Amino acid sequence: MTAFLAICNGLGLINGALLALGRWIGAVCLGLMVVVILAQVFFRYALNNALPWPEEASRFLMLWSTGLMAPTAFRRGGFVAIDMVIRLLPRAVATGLSVFLMAVTILALWIALGIGWSEVTGLGGRFETDSLRVPVSLDLSVWMKVPKAWMMASLLVGVALLLLVAVELALRNLYALIRGPAGLRNIPETVMLGSGAE
Amino acid sequence: MLSFFLPLFLVFLMLGLPVVFGLLAAPAILLWLNGQERDIVLLYRNVYEGMNSFPLMAIPFFMLAGELMNRGGISARIVGFAQAMVGHFRGGLAQVNVVDSMLFAGISGSAVADVSALGSIIIPQMEKKGYPKPFAAAITAASAIIGPIIPPSGIMIIYAYVMGESVAALFLAGIVPGILIGVALMITIKLMADRYKLPEALPRATWGEAGQAAGAAFWPLMTPVLLMGGILSGVFTPTEAAAVAVGYSFFISLFVLKTLTFRDIPGVLTRAGITSSVVMLLVGAAMAFKTVAALAHTPELLAATLLGITENPLLLLLLVNLLLFIVGMFLDAGPAIIILGPILGPIFASMGVDPVHFAIVMVVNLTVGLLTPPMGLVLFATSAVSGLRVETIARAVLPFLAVEFLVILLITYVPAIALTLPRLAGFVD
Repeated sequence: MTAFLAICNGLGLINGALLALGRWIGAVCLGLMVVVILAQVFFRYALNNALPWPEEASRFLMLWSTGLMAPTAFRRGGFVAIDMVIRLLPRAVATGLSVFLMAVTILALWIALGIGWSEVTGLGGRFETDSLRVPVSLDLSVWMKVPKAWMMASLLVGVALLLLVAVELALRNLYALIRGPAGLRNIPETVMLGSGAE
Repeated sequence: MLSFFLPLFLVFLMLGLPVVFGLLAAPAILLWLNGQERDIVLLYRNVYEGMNSFPLMAIPFFMLAGELMNRGGISARIVGFAQAMVGHFRGGLAQVNVVDSMLFAGISGSAVADVSALGSIIIPQMEKKGYPKPFAAAITAASAIIGPIIPPSGIMIIYAYVMGESVAALFLAGIVPGILIGVALMITIKLMADRYKLPEALPRATWGEAGQAAGAAFWPLMTPVLLMGGILSGVFTPTEAAAVAVGYSFFISLFVLKTLTFRDIPGVLTRAGITSSVVMLLVGAAMAFKTVAALAHTPELLAATLLGITENPLLLLLLVNLLLFIVGMFLDAGPAIIILGPILGPIFASMGVDPVHFAIVMVVNLTVGLLTPPMGLVLFATSAVSGLRVETIARAVLPFLAVEFLVILLITYVPAIALTLPRLAGFVD
């Protein structure tokens, strides 16, 4: 059992570090999105020169910020779910049910991971984006078009991180079912409310 | 076989699977059982393509603008301004609670954000003045749903995205219905105040105090003017306007009000990013769910069922309101719009109901649905802010919910309420 607990908490540490990095990059992406769109407005009105790339660049950033930050929301309980039934059930049954739901989630994410991988490495990923270029030589003389795969990888990375989180949460539930929650490391800032479009 | 995706989704939902996974797992399992494994790839692609949209970007931007304003202490200024305006009415703080929600609605596009920003200030104040806590929480929740009805509005951006409507037209059409809900709530409070002897009003603010409160709230309250002005004059697209709103709130909180420091920025970006990522993923998942619904010919079936009951548009509108109200109990507004909008919209358009009018009926109804359990996001948020149980708030909110349902019917049967402003601006014939 000690080994099981060590795996739970070890995975928790790894996820904690990965997601912290994800949040950091995601926040930078969000900030850059604002800058890019404001630049678009500024160039159009002040300089009378409509730039071709801000729209695609900001979508690129948005997809990455989503992929990198959604797993944090999931880990902190920010994915909205109905908990009425679970709360009415006896504790052991409820924990058992959440292990089952976690299994469904893990299976779905595992399949999504496979599909995502073949999408990114497949034909669709080899097409070029319309307007994004990056320099490939130090003196900025040679530029290459960014392949679509770089953009599509955002969802793949998101799915991979969600999968890691789902495995961690499932293991935690399983451990809590057998031995009770004592000894499990707390996940910081849990039960934050998600779904903000509403 | 495939048509079982809806019951299976509901079972998953009731058991407690997060909505976003339920939207994907239910159709995926049925596609697999049906031997259509190849179509599961379609689900994945639609999640990605569903999120990969420029118009949707307005959602993270509005979230960020709201977060910046909130961190910059804007909510307290708005509550202060509302107090100076209506605090002296009987049931004063309850009236303040409604007015500050209407004002905040012009800055934020999310009811959940309104609850967290305003509820944490006004609920303790009301409790201290002697209001029962469930009442304070209920009026906070009931008025917060004005947030996505008065522009800006995350839900309307989603509607416009899915249905190809103009964001500006929807934004304009939401203004009067939003104010109407606020006024209806204020009248309800007035009636309750006389009957149940709600606590004493605050002393009337002097002109000086009122001026000071207005001055403190002036810059934040200019946000909606900038937004709507920019969008309507055609200077910005809605997405650009949202980015400009971020720039504006950043500038005034940092340099004019000096309530924000550079050290707050990473936290603000992180919180806004995390909340937006949940919405974006949900939108993607709902778009994927919608494709499978189409594969199973659900739109045609539902349309045929509805039209089989009656072909009278007035009765159909009533039926649809009831349907939406029930759907709103189980699903949040975003996914509900993505799934049902493309099914219901065309039916009513073919009957001569203006698409903008129908959009508002749907948006307002599903927004009010945020107050109904078991899936009531605003109830959840109010419970988190007040520490009360969701069930307690759900009961206390009932009288206000009833009033809001009446307003929905009014908006449904008097199209001019929603359509006059967009008509004046030339968006609607």
